[in-house]
Amino acid sequence: MTLHRIRGGPRLSVDNDRCERFGTCEWEAPGLFELGRDGRLRYRRRVSDEDAERAAAAARCCPMQAIVVRGVPG
Amino acid sequence: MSDGDRIVIAGAGVAGLRAAERLRELGFDGELVLIGDEPRRPYHRPSVSKQLITGAARPVDMTLKSYTELDARWRLGTRATHLDTTQHVVHLPGGEELWYDGLVVATGVVPRHLPGSPRHDPRVRVLRTAEDAAAVRRALAASNKAAVVIGGGLIGCEFAASMRQMGRDVTLVGHARAPLYRFGPRIAASVTELHRQHRAGLAMNTAVRHWISTKETFGLHLTNNQLVVASCVVLAIGSVPAVDWLRGSGLTLDDGVLCEPTLFATGAEDVVVAGDVARWPNLRFDDEPRRVEHWLNAVESGRAAAENLLAGRGQARPFTPLPRAWSSLYEVRLQTIGLPALAEDTVRLADGVTGFVRAGELVGACGWDRPKAMLYWTAELDRRLPAPATTPAPARWSGPEARPAVGTAP
Ligand SMILES: Cc1cc2nc3c(=O)[nH]c(=O)nc-3n(C[C@H](O)[C@H](O)[C@H](O)COP(=O)(O)OP(=O)(O)OC[C@H]3O[C@@H](n4cnc5c(N)ncnc54)[C@H](O)[C@@H]3O)c2cc1C
Ligand code: SF4
Repeated sequence: MTLHRIRGGPRLSVDNDRCERFGTCEWEAPGLFELGRDGRLRYRRRVSDEDAERAAAAARCCPMQAIVVRGVPG
Repeated sequence: MSDGDRIVIAGAGVAGLRAAERLRELGFDGELVLIGDEPRRPYHRPSVSKQLITGAARPVDMTLKSYTELDARWRLGTRATHLDTTQHVVHLPGGEELWYDGLVVATGVVPRHLPGSPRHDPRVRVLRTAEDAAAVRRALAASNKAAVVIGGGLIGCEFAASMRQMGRDVTLVGHARAPLYRFGPRIAASVTELHRQHRAGLAMNTAVRHWISTKETFGLHLTNNQLVVASCVVLAIGSVPAVDWLRGSGLTLDDGVLCEPTLFATGAEDVVVAGDVARWPNLRFDDEPRRVEHWLNAVESGRAAAENLLAGRGQARPFTPLPRAWSSLYEVRLQTIGLPALAEDTVRLADGVTGFVRAGELVGACGWDRPKAMLYWTAELDRRLPAPATTPAPARWSGPEARPAVGTAP
């Protein structure tokens, strides 16, 4: 809570147990998510307010509902 | 309209939820009512044939989140029984009437029943809802005999895979030559091999001749003279649009609700349609109206329908997505983009990627466990099948004075 207050801004996380590396998130939000050649998913943990909308789009579209976005500006 | 503006959303699935969310994002501050006949809030339906069948997740784990405050009135466990577009009223059980200034129809589809099947036997099930998944699990728990699934499409294949994952014997019965045959011979051959590797039984090119039900089990006598014994039978033979409640409403019902390219229902000024039930022409491909029964389409059409409802019929923009879908079978990720069903022919685009061709033009692609390549082909299809130029960005809700579509004529 305090951390969130101090650092602020929307945060992204992906539940590894759920994610099956479909890469849908990369299509929705390139630059925030990237499916590597090795099949691993890399993503930004902290995103700007402007990118929060694209992060939410990725979360809505994720086939496994594995993406959690916190602190989307209302 | 003294109570302010009201938008009613009929059908509380993913399309309905995403429409509600988009309405609030765009600043609609009137009353929002969601009517859903299931007892729970919108959840991740694709898990019904996967995690909810295997027990890897519970329905509560699959509840969908909203990224905006919805401030909606939820009428769950409530069926919309009739629509009157001239009075702008949705009828609910018990004679209740709900007026609207704008309506989103998002009632989805219902599974088809197989003529001749003992449909009232609790061991014969369909798969659409969390309750369906729970009922199949109960039937499985009551006997250790094999499960049978009728239908070789995505849901049939997913169910068979889930059974094997649970260590249950399963036979898939289908009338096509191979499971997923509509995805072309390459995918069909791969999925056939995959089922074999996992020791799921396949009875293809056949159908049920008759059902022999006893207290403990079912015997299914197939047209190829095979006899399969089952503890429970799942029917996965496709679905039909949930439009019963719309008969006599003034909307055009023809394999779903017929829509304009903008998702406005034909014949109404204040009704938009989203998700599996919408049949609209996607101008990216041609002007033939079609339905698309996939999750991402429900998400995107829900949002587009909301934008257009607020913009008004005159300002609405055509909904021209590049359809994308996925499925997981065993450890394999299957993905499609575009409209493979339009194709006359298939080609091999890359290792594990099949292309679908109509009149020499690529109209779709299907990937067999190739997510990275599919990102490339999604971009490629997007470039080759560009969406027609559209009009300005979605309008924000500007309050009752402006009242584009939402609201009766001044
Ligand atoms: C078992 C299964 C697995 C699937 N797997 C995948 C997959 O892996 N990938 C993929 O892309 N797609 C998949 N899909 C398809 C995807 O789930 C649908 O495309 C999506 O759910 C459509 O959303 P919708 O909101 O249009 O309809 P629905 O999700 O069906 O929601 C409609 C809601 O309206 C309710 N309703 C109907 N009539 C009325 C009425 N008269 N009054 C009130 N409420 C009513 C229904 O009960 C339902 O709750 C799957 C579907 C099923 C059934
Ligand atoms: S869309 Fe979801 S499942 Fe796919 S790679 Fe991204 S987080 Fe994972």
